Amino acid sequence: MLYLLILPAVVYFILFAYLPVVDGANISFQNYRFVGESEYVGFQNYQKVFDTAGFWRVFRNTVILGLSNVVLTAFVPMLLAMMLNEVMFSPWKRFVQTILYLPHLFSWVVVGGIWIFILAPNGGIVNSIRGLFGADPVFFLVKENLARPLYIGVNLWKQAGYVCILFLAAIAGINPELYEAAMIDGAGGFKRALYITVPELARTLKVVLLLNVMGALRIFDQIYVMRNEVVAPKVDVLMYYVYIRGLEQFDLGYAAAISVFIFLITLVITLIARRLMKYNV
Amino acid sequence: MKSHQISTFLSGRRMFVVANNIILVLLALSMIVPLINVLAVSFTTDFESYENTIKLFPREPSTVGYQVLFERVAIWRPFLNNTIVTVAGTLLHVFFASMAGYVLTKQRFIGKALLVLMVTIPMMIPFQMIIIPVFVMMRRLGLLDTLYALVLIDIVATFSVLLMKNYFEGIPISLAESALMDGAKEFTIFSRIYFPLAIPGIVTITIFQFVSRWNQFLPAVLFINSPQNYTLQIALRSLVVDLELTSTTQQVANNTRMAGIVVSVLPLILVYVIAQKYFIKGIMIGAIKE
Repeated sequence: MLYLLILPAVVYFILFAYLPVVDGANISFQNYRFVGESEYVGFQNYQKVFDTAGFWRVFRNTVILGLSNVVLTAFVPMLLAMMLNEVMFSPWKRFVQTILYLPHLFSWVVVGGIWIFILAPNGGIVNSIRGLFGADPVFFLVKENLARPLYIGVNLWKQAGYVCILFLAAIAGINPELYEAAMIDGAGGFKRALYITVPELARTLKVVLLLNVMGALRIFDQIYVMRNEVVAPKVDVLMYYVYIRGLEQFDLGYAAAISVFIFLITLVITLIARRLMKYNV
Repeated sequence: MKSHQISTFLSGRRMFVVANNIILVLLALSMIVPLINVLAVSFTTDFESYENTIKLFPREPSTVGYQVLFERVAIWRPFLNNTIVTVAGTLLHVFFASMAGYVLTKQRFIGKALLVLMVTIPMMIPFQMIIIPVFVMMRRLGLLDTLYALVLIDIVATFSVLLMKNYFEGIPISLAESALMDGAKEFTIFSRIYFPLAIPGIVTITIFQFVSRWNQFLPAVLFINSPQNYTLQIALRSLVVDLELTSTTQQVANNTRMAGIVVSVLPLILVYVIAQKYFIKGIMIGAIKE
């Protein structure tokens, strides 16, 4: 009877976690077809991963966007939390905190949709503000050199408030005696922030960085919603590429090989990151 | 401290406070202005919705955007699908996760170590990395292009199981043991004693499942094909993304696009307002899990 209660969870994990890992590895060695015979082709799909220029382009984009997101959505929210912590009037503090958290609640379709509109040449608020100064409207989302900074910025806009809450909680947990002692020693606000708050937040910072790293290679939703053909060379990422090659062009073996490759990279990065954290905390 | 030192300290402090608050006001505005703008434009006329002015209030308030959204775009169908998937998926998730969590609180039974491993390891397998084989699995099960596929994905998660296990562990075992002695079935003990006592944990999981199901995107992109099975995010995406110049879909005006955004975030904001304290709690637990 006891086993019956955990059965649904076990069955689900077998069907949608364990078997897919095995299947994925298996498919990656085949010229996989939905209809008709699939033949084993050895390492041919993996060979193709390393030989294809398209793959390395999206790999580069993923690393650039991912790394920027990892760093920015850790340090900016930390700074934000320290700034919010200085606010003495708590209703105002809580209001800012709530407002900043709001975009995290929305899907990427909503956030992408809002920013596509904000940056649009007709009716978009950014171009309206530019118009006040007599500037001509710009179609921001099809500017190739603006694409990456824009995507990174919008990601920050969406996630900063959420990560900020983690840091605020950590700040609230710092021993107040540390600050009192520093006050007596004559340390000003800036010094107290630098020599007490920042070191005390190191642990939270590491957790946040680790979370960000694990998410970095998985970017999909934002790109799927905000991309367009003009900026595609700068922003198409690995998971988008896997989706297109695998499920729109049905090159399933190749897409599976890429997935296995990314999966292994993620595992290695996670293990390294965990180890680094353990030794440093 | 000499008096002039105190006064420079104070003025430095005052300058910091002013600068700090100015920056925070600007940041808050960068969140508020776009959201009010979206709301205002959703209530404009077609023509007004294209005007290049900073619109925080519709000049001629109109509901034409919402009319188009519900009549021509027929958003009610994706909205209904989304509600079905969200409610069914969330309820089943809470149910399965808490049952599994309950089992893992049991002291000693055959195969416990194996079950703990089987439930924990999937946390290391991100969905994005297995989309191809999961698609193949759904195809094998004949669930492609059905709402069942969307309910099934994430029907249980390691995080929720472990969270519930922690909640149950706070409940004294003697309670269950005496019930067991009285001849009660395991499921009865779980549903009558443990489940009601773990309400705070259940509320936390329910809220987070609700939000993530309501926003569920990648699975819908992968598994759903026919317009009658579209969920809200899929329908909204074709509404708000208009950059494909070759697109043959019917064009709608900005007011309808923004109305779509308003309609799809309304349930989220409602839940957020009602259950705000659980959100903060859940965020903390969510970060600790890793």
